[in-house]
Amino acid sequence: MADTLKPEAPNPDTDAYAHESELDAHLQTKRMVINMGPSHPATHGTVRLKVELEGETIVKIDPEIGFLHRGFQKSCENVTWTQCLPYTDRLNYLSAMMNNFGFLNAVEKLIGLEIPERAQYIRVIGSELHRLTDHLTCVGATGLEMGGFAPFLLAMEFRELLHDRTAELTGARLTTSFGRVGGSNRDLPEGWIPRVHKTLDQGLALLDEMEGLLTNNRIFVDRTKGTGVISAEDAIEFGYTGPALRACGVDYDIRKTKPYWVYDRFDFDIPVGEHGDNYDRYLVRLEEMRQSIRILRQAMDTIPAGPIIVDDWRIALPPKPEVYGTIEGVMSHFKLVMEGIQVPAGEVYDATEASNGELGWYLVSDGRGRPYKVHVRAPGFPVLAAVPHIIEGKMLADLIPTFDTINMIGGEVEQ
Amino acid sequence: MSRVLTILVAMFTIVFLMAGGMASAYLVGGLVEEHWFTGASRLTNVLFLVLIFVMVIATLLTMAERKWSAFIQDRMGPNRARIALPGLKNRSLGGLPHILTDVLKMLTKEDLIPAAANRFMFNLGPILAFAPTFALFAVVPAGPSVQVFGRNVDMVVATPDFGALYVLAIASLAVYGTALAGWASNNKFGLLGGVRATSQMIAYEVALGLSLVGIFLTFSSVQFPAIIGDIGNALTGGTGQGRYLWRTDGAFDLGLPAWGIFIQPLGFLLFFAASFAETKRAPFDLPEGESEIIGYFVEYSGMKFGLFMISEFVEVVVLAGVTTAFFFGGYHLPFGNEWLANLPIMQEHGWLLGTILGTVFWLKVLFLIWVQLLIRWTFPRFRYDQIQSLGWKILLPLGLANVFVTGALVLWDPSLRALAVLGIAEIGILVVLTTTTKVPAGGAHGAHVGHGHDHGHAHAHGGHGAHDLPAHAHGVAPASTH
Repeated sequence: MADTLKPEAPNPDTDAYAHESELDAHLQTKRMVINMGPSHPATHGTVRLKVELEGETIVKIDPEIGFLHRGFQKSCENVTWTQCLPYTDRLNYLSAMMNNFGFLNAVEKLIGLEIPERAQYIRVIGSELHRLTDHLTCVGATGLEMGGFAPFLLAMEFRELLHDRTAELTGARLTTSFGRVGGSNRDLPEGWIPRVHKTLDQGLALLDEMEGLLTNNRIFVDRTKGTGVISAEDAIEFGYTGPALRACGVDYDIRKTKPYWVYDRFDFDIPVGEHGDNYDRYLVRLEEMRQSIRILRQAMDTIPAGPIIVDDWRIALPPKPEVYGTIEGVMSHFKLVMEGIQVPAGEVYDATEASNGELGWYLVSDGRGRPYKVHVRAPGFPVLAAVPHIIEGKMLADLIPTFDTINMIGGEVEQ
Repeated sequence: MSRVLTILVAMFTIVFLMAGGMASAYLVGGLVEEHWFTGASRLTNVLFLVLIFVMVIATLLTMAERKWSAFIQDRMGPNRARIALPGLKNRSLGGLPHILTDVLKMLTKEDLIPAAANRFMFNLGPILAFAPTFALFAVVPAGPSVQVFGRNVDMVVATPDFGALYVLAIASLAVYGTALAGWASNNKFGLLGGVRATSQMIAYEVALGLSLVGIFLTFSSVQFPAIIGDIGNALTGGTGQGRYLWRTDGAFDLGLPAWGIFIQPLGFLLFFAASFAETKRAPFDLPEGESEIIGYFVEYSGMKFGLFMISEFVEVVVLAGVTTAFFFGGYHLPFGNEWLANLPIMQEHGWLLGTILGTVFWLKVLFLIWVQLLIRWTFPRFRYDQIQSLGWKILLPLGLANVFVTGALVLWDPSLRALAVLGIAEIGILVVLTTTTKVPAGGAHGAHVGHGHDHGHAHAHGGHGAHDLPAHAHGVAPASTH
């Protein structure tokens, strides 16, 4: 500025008044570089945001990942296909079951295996349970980081109830490692379905209460509406999927566009936003939770009886009496545990709709019984990559709700 | 049932303790007036009002806030600290021992001073934040002036001529502590917090001052004793907030008292919002903004941080006290005030009247503290520029309008009744606005995201085929035209 408008040499005799550019006295400011994270209340997981500020305006932001890197892909290459399962728990640790099932689904596609109907229902139920917990965490944290503690704890209460149900189903609250190639390792517990119905009833009340604190709250609306905007074109360019994309008005949900398992049997809607801002992302997640509850209720009401895992001893462990009583059983068990499932050589890409978007798996098998390559297309990665595009030129305070509502999960971004 | 009983017992204990405190304040005041020198009761008032009442309430407030926020958020709140005394073993005592543990923790923590910090300024910060908040309470009368042992005892530390201006002046001093703390700790987050605090204070100082001008106009004074007023008797009517705008005839007085809240509801809202912003608590906690910039006190540890924290709580108490004095009739009862004051026993034993009215004052203070906690735990935080536009574009014009309207109505009707009618109308409008639920603002937002029924139907018609993309896309078409 100062360079382009250099004042001519002032001549006090002819130039009695201040020169135009002298009136426009620019305050000399320095840009301030602050370092948010890797340990910062607003950076979920551990991500470092190098923020360059001019006053309170962000001129440059550089998200830096890698603080949660655990070598997921390499680890998977050294274990059998089944043993990859616990690693997938730690990707998106808020919705572990969706990672489990997504991985299993891809492996089954590589094998060319159709799993029993009941197992498909169990996977839908598990997925939707964890979609609820994931969205609850996201929406609750959004409230929390904007200073409203109560909505967060209401969300946590519902999540806690869901964790109880998850623990009854899988034996773990977060790291479920649920499901096996070819179906499910355990059936729904006895009397579990009525308990889930009751939990959902309680949860709906909590959801309403939480929504009452946020949705029409003027401060919350002011802070989220019109902030963190990304247009549909840009979102697609960046590779957005899931609620963040749908909030831009793009109707893309794998559960509808390419139904897997038994999703095509349920009646549910895909909420779509319009403006692609934080408020729309928040509303989309809220509505998705209600739709998840709809799916859960339908699935639990219509779940058929039957086997939960394929009856093929090359893929599923034989029943224990067979292992102890027959030589075939022992052999199959030994082969499966020691050598793993003999997935035929080949490669596959398969995706499921996880809570944050398209969770894609690119698997390569060389027929050894261990993965040759496992790559995850984490929905959080493109979402995080677009943060500089969204937030540069906006205020520091806008970064917080934006970072909340896009819901980047450190675990899956940094495999 | 036992829970209700516990709460009732606790409430009565609190009222009883406050009454006891006020009674001893009056009696000790009377004693020192008699045996020491005239005006000595002002010194004991420092002890009783500022050091005992304000400090104890602020200390208990640290606990009350945690408990109350817990109740708001569906949890139990702190109940783990126990005192291992024979009678008290394994009693959580409503979490009270946590106060002790908090203090112990803060006092024993290492006092870290960043190497790059300016030591003198760094140490000055908490002091400057802490001291003015206490000094504020000096001009707020907590009880009436009565005769004790034949001597006049005022329940206030100082009654300067400039009264309320002192409050405004001292309140703006507190920002120095915050700004210094942010600057001297040589931390970027701290600096941001300090800058935010400073700009916030400047923006709200103006609205704060303007919101009180209406009160000054209606009571033609800036002094607390004049604004709170005296209780009337058979010969003379009350003054200030101690009089009635309309009242029934009869020994027991019943009517609409001339409290600030009735004649200046807009002024009250502006004052409350502006002074809430001065306390730097949510939704105005931008200087702290713990999820964004952690706060101006990010480098402070131990008791220095504790000073910032406790000064925040003291500010809550003081704000409640000042608001009570300006807008809730100070220590006056809403009805039966004159009847009570003119009872023979009250005339004879002044300290008894003082005790009752003083307790009334502290009860009002507790109520306003509770309102503040409720607000604190309900609202999210503003954004930096939104808080500025609220201060400059909403509070300031409203404050100016309030001054002009009040001035005109006071001129037109010095009995203040016209002002009261307007005030009650304002309260009515506010209640109606609050209770009627409105459709979410920006219909586009709400309408669009609810949607999806067309989608669901299209899907259902599309059949259960694995790939019903055409039908699906068709159903979605209207939704994606944004």
